[in-house]
Amino acid sequence: MRFEEELVELLPRLRRFARGLARDASDADDLCQAAIERALKSQGQWQQGTRLDSWMYRITRNLWIDERRATGRRGVHTPIDDAVMQVAGDGAAEVEAGTLRGDVDGAMAHLPDEQREVVMLVLVEGYAYREAADILDVPIGTVTSRLARGRDTLMHLLGEAA
Amino acid sequence: MSFDPAILAAFVDGELDDLTARRIEREAEGDPALAAEIARHRALKAKLAAHYAPIAEEPVPERLRALLVPAAETVDTSITARRAAKQARFTPIHWGAIAASLVLGLTLGLRPWAPAASIAEADGAVIAAGPLAEALDTQLASNQPSDAAVRIRLSFQDRDGRFCRSFESASLDGIGCRDNGRWNLERAIRGQAGTDYRQASSSELAAAAAAMMGSDPLDAATERQARDKGWARR
Repeated sequence: MRFEEELVELLPRLRRFARGLARDASDADDLCQAAIERALKSQGQWQQGTRLDSWMYRITRNLWIDERRATGRRGVHTPIDDAVMQVAGDGAAEVEAGTLRGDVDGAMAHLPDEQREVVMLVLVEGYAYREAADILDVPIGTVTSRLARGRDTLMHLLGEAA
Repeated sequence: MSFDPAILAAFVDGELDDLTARRIEREAEGDPALAAEIARHRALKAKLAAHYAPIAEEPVPERLRALLVPAAETVDTSITARRAAKQARFTPIHWGAIAASLVLGLTLGLRPWAPAASIAEADGAVIAAGPLAEALDTQLASNQPSDAAVRIRLSFQDRDGRFCRSFESASLDGIGCRDNGRWNLERAIRGQAGTDYRQASSSELAAAAAAMMGSDPLDAATERQARDKGWARR
């Protein structure tokens, strides 16, 4: 299959991943667009026979991180509650359990970026820990610990009580 | 409970070897607390999956597809264009979403040529109904009123020999193929009549049709003949 065709097939999933990262629908599509453009430009770097999806997710995620860092430095686009939560570390502790029952977007917004991306890759996109670690370029132990913290926070906020 | 939370998470994520996984399953049968913990993890996963699934069902915005799929400028059905189009892949219709809206008893949520619904569901396939089915049955591309609600663009046979017809209307554009006396909607995109997207959607449809064609589109005489024989496969 041609490179472009494979990319087209990936788009629905990639848009989902981008939505989880960027949260806002049009920001997410902007992110996808930037990722596609980057992919077309660096097509030569993709090794035929390796997984195009992982490669594409990695590009998307790295572009998003760059974007976050850029806006973070300028101090815009970061909602106050996000900033507070991130300073407060796992933050959710100060929010009452089950406050965001049913509000997945709201609960995901409480996760620090590095937990949200792991949650998206493993729990939503269904990647194995090893694959997620490769996409994020971190050790597998980092994936499992971020995932555990993300999960705890989500369960707490969404009120998935035992 | 004798299991580390990390092991439990790995169990729910399918990351454990079979032996350990079976051991946890057995243990959970006799340990309600463990079983509840597993259920809690599974519930979270299911909730997230359900929340994000519809995004992957949405039609991909044209501005993204256009970066990867070159749009044909005109209805070009030449052999070269067909070959080129065959190499391109078109986004499958998001049947999940369409079927869901049918189940909910909603129309497609587009501009109406309601009241009569123009699509229906049969045996898991989305088929033309009402005025759309009638237009596909009877209307000739070569001879149709200029103000027809549904405009037939092209009639052709696909590689399986089925008769297919591309159409445009205010609310829905697509391609229907004749199968078992019904028009299966093989491609469907939101109609864009009267908007700036008209051109894009038209050329997308033409390219999709070109990719499906087994031979040249029907000329006026063969189209009429096919219609008079009820679009039966030759």
